[in-house]
Amino acid sequence: MLLVCLAGSAGGQTLPSEPISMAGGRVTLGGDVSATFGDRDPGFFTFTDYAHSAIRMLRIDLSGSVRAGPHFTLLGEIRNENFGPVRPYALYLRIRPWTARNFDIQVGRVPPTFGAFSRRTYAGDNPLIGYPLAYQYMTTMRADALAADVDELLRKRSLGWLFRYSVGQPAAGGGLSLVSAFRWDTGVQLHATAGMLSATASVTAGTVSNPLFRDDNSGRQMAGRVELRPVAGLVVGASLARGPFLGRAAARAALGDVVDGHDKEFTQTAWGGDVEYSRDHYLLRLETVGSAWRLPAVRTPALPQPLRALSTAVEGRYKLRPGLYAAARLDHLGFSEVVGTRETLPWDAPVSRAEVGVGYSLQRNLLLKLSYQYNRRYGGVLKRRAPLAAGQLVFWF
Amino acid sequence: MFRRSFSALFAFVSLVTLVSFVALPAGSAAANNGEIRGRVEVRRVVTSMERRPGVADLGTPRGRSMPDLRRSVVYLESAPRGAFEPSEAGRAVMDQRNETFVPHVLAITTGTTVDFPNSDKFYHNVFSLSKTKPFDLGRYATGNSRPVRFDRPGIVRVFCDIHSHMSAFILVFSHPFFALTDAEGRYRIENVPPGTYGVIAWNEGTPSDAKAVTVPDRGVVELDFTVR
Repeated sequence: MLLVCLAGSAGGQTLPSEPISMAGGRVTLGGDVSATFGDRDPGFFTFTDYAHSAIRMLRIDLSGSVRAGPHFTLLGEIRNENFGPVRPYALYLRIRPWTARNFDIQVGRVPPTFGAFSRRTYAGDNPLIGYPLAYQYMTTMRADALAADVDELLRKRSLGWLFRYSVGQPAAGGGLSLVSAFRWDTGVQLHATAGMLSATASVTAGTVSNPLFRDDNSGRQMAGRVELRPVAGLVVGASLARGPFLGRAAARAALGDVVDGHDKEFTQTAWGGDVEYSRDHYLLRLETVGSAWRLPAVRTPALPQPLRALSTAVEGRYKLRPGLYAAARLDHLGFSEVVGTRETLPWDAPVSRAEVGVGYSLQRNLLLKLSYQYNRRYGGVLKRRAPLAAGQLVFWF
Repeated sequence: MFRRSFSALFAFVSLVTLVSFVALPAGSAAANNGEIRGRVEVRRVVTSMERRPGVADLGTPRGRSMPDLRRSVVYLESAPRGAFEPSEAGRAVMDQRNETFVPHVLAITTGTTVDFPNSDKFYHNVFSLSKTKPFDLGRYATGNSRPVRFDRPGIVRVFCDIHSHMSAFILVFSHPFFALTDAEGRYRIENVPPGTYGVIAWNEGTPSDAKAVTVPDRGVVELDFTVR
């Protein structure tokens, strides 16, 4: 104890904070561990899938890179949540054809091209504990099943955590967020930077809602992102993605054999815009994500084309003093209206979330976060209001 | 790792808090002062902090300079009484260049103000959580600089909040009897009053054992170290 006090008074950093490096720096291993404990969430506002709530989770990430000469780097990451199975999160080869040019090709299970938050999902990068709704909230959209008509769709409003549709996969399952923060897609990605502009394009198996390891329909998703950095501290980004969304089995269940070869018409189209500005001790971010899904019409009242959703989040962080910051995020997720037999409503219940929190760095790479979020759902059958408090301890190296 | 850190910190705390006052001989004057010089050999493998794997990056990260980790600081464990008299406040610079703090190690006396200019085209955010001098300079663009004054002796570890591979040390002494080694490991502590002292070499958080040395009138003492 005495030594710890002395250490604190002299250096302030006793935990190792550097990644593990081997073979002269060619092999590097890093890790992120976050332990989060918060209130029970009977309204399922914070769930990321059937089993996991973002505010009750122990997550362990191990990532590594192996540099094989100036042109090739192999990168990978495995993840464990709540001591469940260890899952490969990323595994891809980064190729730099010309070492003097800022141009890379990435092949495999690659980082998301779309959006800004999608590459900041590590707890150490997130100033709060909750995620933006666009990246986490489980809507009533599924890629393996669909509602036969608008009335069935409306009956499922707010039940994205666990529900079943009458067409396609009969088992109950969870719905998808607009953009998945928890799975990466598989394919090829190109990235180039020239001055203040950087551009990324990719062809992948899944869509932003439903990244896949193996494709389950007849088409590939095309995604692109451009990022402009006109002055230090300002980043303006725009993203676009479009690809076949509905699985072949679900499309066939909806339309029969006639669908063969046409299942790629049932698409997800997503667009996003984001701005980040930081200076001195504050940082501001704004991100909007829109998504439109085209699904087959099975019977009347038929699902309109497309079903849309739009989410906007604004967040800020201010450093109060060394090691201590305050942060806040306001977030809303809305859905387009559909006309049923008896009523006209958004196809899923809109949700709003306000979250405030503080973060305190016990050491450079040991961060304690406390947050309070207020969730509100406008409709549906589940609990409509949920004030939730949570604490999170984050360690990284 | 922990043991190494603790021993380093313990040695430095000894320096900071347990400094013994060595009485100067009667009638001594600066003209009689001597010099300690020698070489520090770093035998352990010293590797610079690597970037984290950066799996979420869309491409290869920018190139960066590597810090010079073989520079050591040699200092007197105990110092003459007169060494603690207030001296003129100094000024030093720790630049942020190519995602590296330059120099990687800075040794200063208390009261010194260190400027932290940003020479890169992108933001840095210099901070330290050390008890000696916690500070956070925030984000500022190229060409700008922010100062920090260090009024207490101790070790200050400096980091960048944006680039996790950037780190540096500032060693703040309450006396002027210390020296930074050159590229070959050579050092020279000048103007040391005659007397017997303990001398320590420090490299990247690891101190050597203290070596006793007697500095004669106007004499030069050779003292070499090996840091393992």
